[in-house]
Amino acid sequence: MYGWTGRILRVDLTTRTHRAEPFSEEFAKTWVGGRGFAVKILFDELKPGIDPLGPENKLIVALGPISGIPAPTTGKAVVAAKSPLTGFYGDGNLGTRVTEQLRKAGYDALIVEGRAERPTLLYIEDDTVEFLPADEVWGQGTFATNDWIYAKYGKGVGVLNIGQGGENGVRYATIRSMEGRSGGRPGMGAVMGSKLLKAIVVKGTRPIPQANAAGMKAVGTADLKMVHQIDKDTGWSRQSTNGVLAWCNEVAGLPVQNFRKTSHTEAWKIDGQRLDEARVATYGCPTCTMRCGIAIHDKEGHESELDYENIGLLGANLNIFELDQVGSLNYLCDDYGLDTMSAGCTLSFYADAIAHGATTGDFTFGDAERAKELLGLAARREGPVGNLLADGTLRMARAFGHGAEQYAMQVKGLEVAAYNCKFIPGMALAFGVAAIGAHHREAWIITFELKNTTRDSYGPEKAAKVIELQRIRGGMFESIVSCRFPWIELGWSLDNYPKYFNLVTGLDWTLDDMWRLADRVYAMIKLHYLREFPNVTRQDDYPPAVWFDPENADTEGPIAHMHLEADKYDQLLQHYYDQRGYDRRGIPTRKLLETLGLSREADEAARYATLT
Amino acid sequence: MKVTVKVIGPLAYAAGFSEKDVAFPGTATAGELLARVNIASRPTIVTRNGKAVSPLDALAEGDRIVISPIYSGG
Repeated sequence: MYGWTGRILRVDLTTRTHRAEPFSEEFAKTWVGGRGFAVKILFDELKPGIDPLGPENKLIVALGPISGIPAPTTGKAVVAAKSPLTGFYGDGNLGTRVTEQLRKAGYDALIVEGRAERPTLLYIEDDTVEFLPADEVWGQGTFATNDWIYAKYGKGVGVLNIGQGGENGVRYATIRSMEGRSGGRPGMGAVMGSKLLKAIVVKGTRPIPQANAAGMKAVGTADLKMVHQIDKDTGWSRQSTNGVLAWCNEVAGLPVQNFRKTSHTEAWKIDGQRLDEARVATYGCPTCTMRCGIAIHDKEGHESELDYENIGLLGANLNIFELDQVGSLNYLCDDYGLDTMSAGCTLSFYADAIAHGATTGDFTFGDAERAKELLGLAARREGPVGNLLADGTLRMARAFGHGAEQYAMQVKGLEVAAYNCKFIPGMALAFGVAAIGAHHREAWIITFELKNTTRDSYGPEKAAKVIELQRIRGGMFESIVSCRFPWIELGWSLDNYPKYFNLVTGLDWTLDDMWRLADRVYAMIKLHYLREFPNVTRQDDYPPAVWFDPENADTEGPIAHMHLEADKYDQLLQHYYDQRGYDRRGIPTRKLLETLGLSREADEAARYATLT
Repeated sequence: MKVTVKVIGPLAYAAGFSEKDVAFPGTATAGELLARVNIASRPTIVTRNGKAVSPLDALAEGDRIVISPIYSGG
């Protein structure tokens, strides 16, 4: 077997033991890696109903066959566990040197079980695994922790760590790496913290097995240069992802004031051009030649690395249009180890709930200084307000009552990414059916909707586009594992990815094989959901209710008086289910599961809930 | 005829401006506008008042035209 190391490292923090477990070629070909490995391992090894922050939960770090191989954007790792935010399978990816180092240590994945007795640093070097004390940095932010690790081990090691957010069980705490990279929006950092695991450090010295190492090296090296040249020619990374902010503002798709508004006259102050002008440094992931991380100096003088999502949700959505203040909020989230998107939505929801009388408090839109204080309260779970904020938008809404759930901007408990879908039905569907909750990572179809269809259409072509993108983005890229940016932003051909895959594995896969893998992975995430929520309904795949509310419609601009219509959205959702082969609850049918080779998994799910 | 043109993201560096008024002696289409601002060869989405237009669509006095790369949501 080439491409895979063929081993998974299992570590038990309770017993301080570890073992390398071989896996079969069939397992490798069925699940490939990354998200594919994670959904299968967690489905097989977790019982439904367990406490996500208890020792029974397991944290997975999973890589794929092209991970760590020098080729465009192969430096990503998937982190996964049962989510404390959503209550079912959750995951995320981040750029990290752990990717290359863990593969060189001889593992395609790491499973962390149990709970340590004291704050721990897990050190992995080839076959050696050590459980080292981390009391010295428990209570410290991610930047200080990272510095402490680099001082001990040097900068070449792979590092995953958490901040106070993860330590204190903030439900949207992330795992951090390389000072600017974050992953695991649905609380993967909190799962790590619940195990008293402050950091994972990895060093590997072995070659990664490849079927055609010379061929891969030649192709990978040439392609890294080509991607760099295309980026340079198009100028994409001048503004990186934040180029889209000005466009969202023009087409009424920007989240402003907890998504109440879709544009703002001051949005230009935080757009891509202003970000480029304020740039003091540029950062990127390992093996990336289109580096997208633009750092500025924040209000307090720290370097803060920004992208569109955190500017959209910590800036526009809070009515904060001072870039350095947005930088400060972003820096705090990074240091505490909080997801910037969920944090932004949670703060905007809190301000909105106060404005609408659902609760009382001293936070208003536009108050950057108070927002900074609130992030600290949340990260430390300090006082009633800190505890509320630490639980995320949906739990806050349920605690407040007074109809606040209507404008809690989340799906399945995960906060919405920075696209305001008041009148963008296909993108609203993409959020509704995103596998782990309202993430933009898996499908983003706004330009397709505006350019190739009519904005007010709820037709099957939009459902088809969502599925196409889910297969590419949420299926293939998350499993092989690679960043989607060269393809999605620079037009780098999709055919390159099976090519890389085949060079390292010696297999002969096509994109169709990737789509079959993707469908299997999506079906498995649905089975995770069904097992945890046996009374699932199609309402679980609806976007936030406020987008359907006529009283929330814009009063001026391109979509004045327009809003989503529930009956039409339901038809669009049905198109999605029909094309996927899902039943009216949005669950794969037994027939589909059998077609995907998931008969055993179907039997397991049927122990807890009905399959049709 | 005069329209206001906003150019988004890296296209602004190619066009040499981010927002300005562009005048035509008579009528003009969206495609003619792209050629005028020197970005006709780039993949774009052109919107008028928030709705997409094709290169053959005629522009009207006072339109706000936004020319953007085909963003993909990161």
